[in-house]
Amino acid sequence: MEQPQLGNGGAEAVLNLEPSSSISIAYHSLFGPHDDLILLELDEKLLPDILQQRITLRGQPDEDAVLYTGSKTYGIKFVGNSNSALLIPPSDQTEFCENSLDCKRKDDDQQGVASVIKVAPGNMELVEVAPRLDKLKLLLSENPYTFQEDLEMEDLEVVEKGNTGLYKWDDLVEKVQASDEELRSELQALSAVEIGGYWRIVDVKHMDTILRMLFHNSVINDWSLDALNEDEVVSMLESDGYPHKLAHHCLHVYGNKVDENLGRQVWKLDERRVCVHFAREILKEGKRKMESFMKEWMQKIPEGMQASFDMLEGEVLTERLGVETWIRAFSVSSLPSSPAERFSILFRERPKWEWKDFVFLPSLFLLPFSCSYSQVVFFSLV
Amino acid sequence: MQIRVKCKCGEGKCPEWAVVELQGVVEAQPSFQDRLQNLEIGVLCRPSSQPVYTFKVGYHELTGSKVALKKPMLVLQKTKRTGTGDTDVGTDTNSSNVELQVIGIIRHRILFKTRPKPLISKPQPAVKEKASAPGAVASNQTA
Repeated sequence: MEQPQLGNGGAEAVLNLEPSSSISIAYHSLFGPHDDLILLELDEKLLPDILQQRITLRGQPDEDAVLYTGSKTYGIKFVGNSNSALLIPPSDQTEFCENSLDCKRKDDDQQGVASVIKVAPGNMELVEVAPRLDKLKLLLSENPYTFQEDLEMEDLEVVEKGNTGLYKWDDLVEKVQASDEELRSELQALSAVEIGGYWRIVDVKHMDTILRMLFHNSVINDWSLDALNEDEVVSMLESDGYPHKLAHHCLHVYGNKVDENLGRQVWKLDERRVCVHFAREILKEGKRKMESFMKEWMQKIPEGMQASFDMLEGEVLTERLGVETWIRAFSVSSLPSSPAERFSILFRERPKWEWKDFVFLPSLFLLPFSCSYSQVVFFSLV
Repeated sequence: MQIRVKCKCGEGKCPEWAVVELQGVVEAQPSFQDRLQNLEIGVLCRPSSQPVYTFKVGYHELTGSKVALKKPMLVLQKTKRTGTGDTDVGTDTNSSNVELQVIGIIRHRILFKTRPKPLISKPQPAVKEKASAPGAVASNQTA
């Protein structure tokens, strides 16, 4: 009884088995459960990302693990296999050589032995998922930046406050199930700003104060809202006591950059964003009769801007009570991202919906992948 | 908790592993359960130039073929980094000691789906529990 040779053969011998030849399959000298070996099935198109080390797995202990490429998020699922999958590594796989001799052994025999290191019980699969970005808003809303902080510190780069409840980029990456790109774009959507290394949502009242100051200054200095000079605006706001960072942020939130003019950065205020800001302000206290709302809204809008009702798409709900139409704030973008939660909130608002109500909330339908349109139709038939 | 997926191999150089897949379970005789290492399981043959294979395990012969996987599979090895402790203050960082290393890729498997055919009249049965040297078996085969 001869002991089979170890080490020569391997995966390459199995895969390249010539016609009219054979090879012995044996248990590897290091055969075992090897729970540290995991099989992961993935699309060919993700291979470059993984091979260039651009992929990370993230997850909190109480959440399922999630895989991220730079731009997308995938859930990881284990799929069992009732077959016996005998895994055979290449003969020179360094992790499984008992000594250097095994690896360097020449192929003296006509046949080698292909050694099975493990029987795989199954593999991991990837399922593309929508990023769970709700958590980001939750985290950043714990400590919105208010005017108090403006007063408390001269230098925004020094954060005296304790670290709890404030999050840097790395903290957010740890805690939020989203790829870097998705995270960045959500921070943008939330109008978050990085202050002293921490990402913050600025309290709406505070933003309102800064915005009004900006209008006030434009009137005094006869600035055009379509062509605001960044340096002028920022220095004027700074002299009014607002931090440089926030002045900048205000332009960012309510305006758009326009091409540089002779080396000076120019901004144009975005009509829609400004008008929506004032609409939200009016409806903050509760619902209003349509006529009264429209009148106040038109008054609040700055000179030179035009407000139109379709700007409020996705931001308000209207309902008829008797002969009158009422309007109130209802931000679709604040709805949770899971379809079940979204519909539960909608139905709590109102037990019955008509199709025409949805006409004014088209952005409601931008749901994560798992919601099918048939689900939507079913609910709207109630 | 964040785990980086690392790969030493670089594109195009990932070692390719092989998989021999059978329906059911391979079992060794009870007396050998504890010392499977180096034990021969069976003999894999390729009788012709077709990607058709036979696998003789004990007194049975299986027939199968080499198929390409619809999606490649990566072989990952989970390791715990034992280095010096992190000096990071704040949120838990002990989880960042786990690493996943890509150590191989699987693109094909040799899949056996047929019922095992009993081999009755073989002169030298490749008995499971014996670790015998594989003889040249290609010529013995009956289709």
